[in-house]
Amino acid sequence: MGWRKKVDKTVLWLLLVHILLISVVGADNRRLNLWPMPESVSHGQGTLYLDSEKFELKTEGSKYGDASGILKDGFSRVLDIIKGEHIIQGTSRFGSSVVIKGIHVVILSSNDELQYGVDESYKLSIPVQGNPLYAHIEAQTVYGALHGLETFSQLCYFNFETRVIELHQAPWTISDKPRFSYRGLLIDTSRHFLPLPVIKKVIDSMTYAKLNVLHWHIVDTQSFPLEIPSYPKLWKGAYSSTERYTMAEAADIVSYAYKRGINVLAEIDVPGHAESWGVGYPLLWPSKNCTQPLDVSSDFTFKVIDGILSDFSKVFKYKFVHLGGDEVDTSCWTLTPHVSDWLKKQGLDASQAYEYFVLKAQEIALSHGYEMINWEETFNNFGSKLNPKTVVHNWLGGGVAQKVVEAGLRCIVSNQDKWYLDHLDATWQGFYSNEPLTNITKPEQQALVLGGEVCMWGEHIDGSDIEQTIWPRAAAAAERLWTPYDKLAKDPREVTARLANFRCLLNKRGVAAAPLAGPGRVAPFEPGSCYRQ
Amino acid sequence: MSAKSLISTNPNALIPLFFILLLIPLSPSSNFVNSARTLSSLHKSKVRTDESLTFLWPLPAQYTFGNQTLTVDPNLSLVLGGRKAGNSNFITEAFMRYKSIIFKHPSKESASGFKYDITKLSIIVHSENEELQLGVDESYSLLVAKNDGHSIIGEVTIEANTLYGALRGLETMSQLCVYDYESKSVKVFKAPWFIQDQPRFQYRGLLLDTSRHYQPVEIIKQVIDSMSYAKLNVLHWHIIDEESFPLEVPEYPKLWSGSYTKWERYTVEDALEIVSYAKLRGINVMPEVDVPGHAESWGKGYPDLWPSPSCTEPLDVSKNFTFDVIAGILTGMQEIFPFKLFHLGGDEVNTDCWTSTPHVAQWLEEHNMSTRDAYRYFVIKAQEIALSHDRIPVNWEETFNTFPSKLSPETIVHNWLGPGVCPKAVAQGFKCIYSNQGVWYLDHLDIPWENVYYAEPLEGINNASLQNLVIGGEVCMWGETADASDVLQTIWPRAAAAAERLWSNREATSSGISKLQPTFRLEYFRCLLTRRGIPAAPVKNYYARTAPPGYGSCYEQ
Repeated sequence: MGWRKKVDKTVLWLLLVHILLISVVGADNRRLNLWPMPESVSHGQGTLYLDSEKFELKTEGSKYGDASGILKDGFSRVLDIIKGEHIIQGTSRFGSSVVIKGIHVVILSSNDELQYGVDESYKLSIPVQGNPLYAHIEAQTVYGALHGLETFSQLCYFNFETRVIELHQAPWTISDKPRFSYRGLLIDTSRHFLPLPVIKKVIDSMTYAKLNVLHWHIVDTQSFPLEIPSYPKLWKGAYSSTERYTMAEAADIVSYAYKRGINVLAEIDVPGHAESWGVGYPLLWPSKNCTQPLDVSSDFTFKVIDGILSDFSKVFKYKFVHLGGDEVDTSCWTLTPHVSDWLKKQGLDASQAYEYFVLKAQEIALSHGYEMINWEETFNNFGSKLNPKTVVHNWLGGGVAQKVVEAGLRCIVSNQDKWYLDHLDATWQGFYSNEPLTNITKPEQQALVLGGEVCMWGEHIDGSDIEQTIWPRAAAAAERLWTPYDKLAKDPREVTARLANFRCLLNKRGVAAAPLAGPGRVAPFEPGSCYRQ
Repeated sequence: MSAKSLISTNPNALIPLFFILLLIPLSPSSNFVNSARTLSSLHKSKVRTDESLTFLWPLPAQYTFGNQTLTVDPNLSLVLGGRKAGNSNFITEAFMRYKSIIFKHPSKESASGFKYDITKLSIIVHSENEELQLGVDESYSLLVAKNDGHSIIGEVTIEANTLYGALRGLETMSQLCVYDYESKSVKVFKAPWFIQDQPRFQYRGLLLDTSRHYQPVEIIKQVIDSMSYAKLNVLHWHIIDEESFPLEVPEYPKLWSGSYTKWERYTVEDALEIVSYAKLRGINVMPEVDVPGHAESWGKGYPDLWPSPSCTEPLDVSKNFTFDVIAGILTGMQEIFPFKLFHLGGDEVNTDCWTSTPHVAQWLEEHNMSTRDAYRYFVIKAQEIALSHDRIPVNWEETFNTFPSKLSPETIVHNWLGPGVCPKAVAQGFKCIYSNQGVWYLDHLDIPWENVYYAEPLEGINNASLQNLVIGGEVCMWGETADASDVLQTIWPRAAAAAERLWSNREATSSGISKLQPTFRLEYFRCLLTRRGIPAAPVKNYYARTAPPGYGSCYEQ
């Protein structure tokens, strides 16, 4: 039974973090254990109880019909979460004046279209007076109501002694809305295939942190896992015959996310990250031995892009599509005779051809009704030529958003030094402190920053380690993107205990969030309580 | 219906086992592909996941197959037969679970008039007994064949003596069903299949430690699910240790004051739920209280259990109260855990506190006991308590190494320190569980899967009747560095290597015959686990639970 303790060089540092954690963990009920922190919160000191078997959803006065069951399903999911895996006792021993009978949800809009900028605000109140007692959620849209339900679930505790669900510090009045409309997480299914249940679990976990965009980097150099009905040989670029998604499965993912208030942003990364396209259609390569970027000289290339985006438009209903455009090494274009001949004929040099390609892809996206997002190199190289509907996706470093919004374009912040989850040495404190509006002071320019995104690139990520690499660090960014600036901690150490609590909440919900004390996806370094690691 | 009668209905389609082994590709060149490979070489190696190959894990005792491809109806229906199964929700629930595993991809609407080859799955269970205990009959036969309209046995038939055998058959069936992305339907390749299977060992365990880190119930259920995929059948729940006491004990309600926090606990109902969840998957739960050496957390609620507040371990041997508490725990746990085996620990006992604490030292003197005698006295007394509660004591090997002749003859010796212990234990008539830490401790991250796979519980035991005393083996997931965030990828895929060792024929899994053969199947099985939502780590990791070294196919990492 012995266990050989392995001491490595990080242990001392870990110990330091550990001591910090211990010093701030009181694990008491007086602290606010909500993540992300709402816009405004007030509460009392009373305790209420709820009977999970009889707990009900009331919707009188709501203008929302819930034809597709978004609210009803959301309610039953949250109820399951509140119960956890525990066997709960009834509340008959308590007087009805302290038992919450259910949640009364009033939604003011009948529209449940989930689009960029959808109203996600909600008001949650939990009174201590009334018979029967109901918690109240008021929201403009069903998606605001879902956020309210998530917040409600974080207020409920299972009491192990009494086996009752308790709600402390009542009454509550919470008024909440996100600071940014775009709060994204990138997953990469090209470097490693991620099975459907894994993606669905990632989506579930995003809702706990109120993230709202799953940026699906579907295809890259290494593999092409998605079925494209218009060009059925494209998914021959999958790693194997079983590491694939049918278009029906993609639609399933989109609808699964949609019902949870999450949009799916699909990406094809052209022309530079597309070698796998040519496995099914070698004509897309400049030549068999020079296979990337896509052949700029061939009409077929743009036909295929058109086919893909046409197929996308039937399934991916988000108003944006991501066209990539990063890291384009054009040497295959100049080295391949027929391409370099074409360049000469058109009077283009390689960098002009890169611009030509990106702008042509943008035109195709627009023709399918999309607005497009491109990685920042496109802006850095020919920003003034980009279609004004372009959203520039920052990644290389800080300070880019400022330039983008000065140029009048919209921006999403993902500077890799702080918000790349595959950088294991990027700490949760860094994720927390990364401010998208750094040096952007004019309100009209601030409004051009749609939000931010943490990126889970897949070189070392598969179904075995994705959850603990994403969490808890993505949660730190989620609060930055949700909570009003003035309510954010100036020193991330102030939120350590609350974030530790959220990571234990993720664990209880079956999400393998890693300890805070250490770099990304670190194993706990010694025995101890979840709340202190 | 006997297995023989099944065979005789399909004489032409059968291929002997040895021929199957020859068919499995053995090319080492496609095996170890480094991460610097080019795209073209990547796509050349796709033979590995060719639909024409079927990978089963663990390997069944006997199997034959043909060369047909059969389509499976997404509306597959269940037909129950036999004495008991006809009214058992147990089987219906299991069938529904496996149906959602088999058909998790959206199936294409079939054209009207399309006839699936397989539309029914028949399960025949002979015994009415639902009790799950050590040695329960887990054998089954499975036939997957196209119904030619003449045979009375249709399409898919699982026949077993017990419900638990039927569960194993369902698992095997689910591994035969492959989603075909081209036709967007589920198919069984290489049919007809005839499989007759039973485990080599009756005890196939996994230890889970909830004292060093609390594991939420949701995570324990994920562990149980994953165990059923590898046909493991005992969850050894190391509930309590020095660090924390998470379980409620109604007889001594202050014991779980020793939990890390008031949220890192299991109520009696939680534990009952875990036991019943495991039973529905054919898995016994064996609880452990590790006395007297690993029990410091007990004293948080009852400081009298410590020799003194400044010397807190082992439990105070001199007090009757200590044994009253153990008896109370046994009484409580007896209600929760119907499994007859009960683990009493007994390892790593440092008796210094007994000699350095005056009242204990005095007691030792009065009873004329050395510390070694007192250790023996403690273990034997705990064994008597277990026996009086109708439980068979399991003890870590130190008890056997120190005072073998004094142990109850019913004792099951649990090996861990190294090789060669089970041979000694069985020579003295004891039953034994093999967990040699050099190969089967999952917290040892530097043990590669091959070492796990080729560890042999019967090594050094040649006499058949002595071999029978080795009831099986167990891989141990000690929790010092394993919590909810990394426990599953530390367990898998290496636990699967032990699972095949414990289930499949020794001949089929010994290194001489199949040097390379398990690699492909294990990689396939680990991908199957990730597809079922279990985060099994890459097979070829140098250290366990590390990330994949670079991009690539799941089947090649």
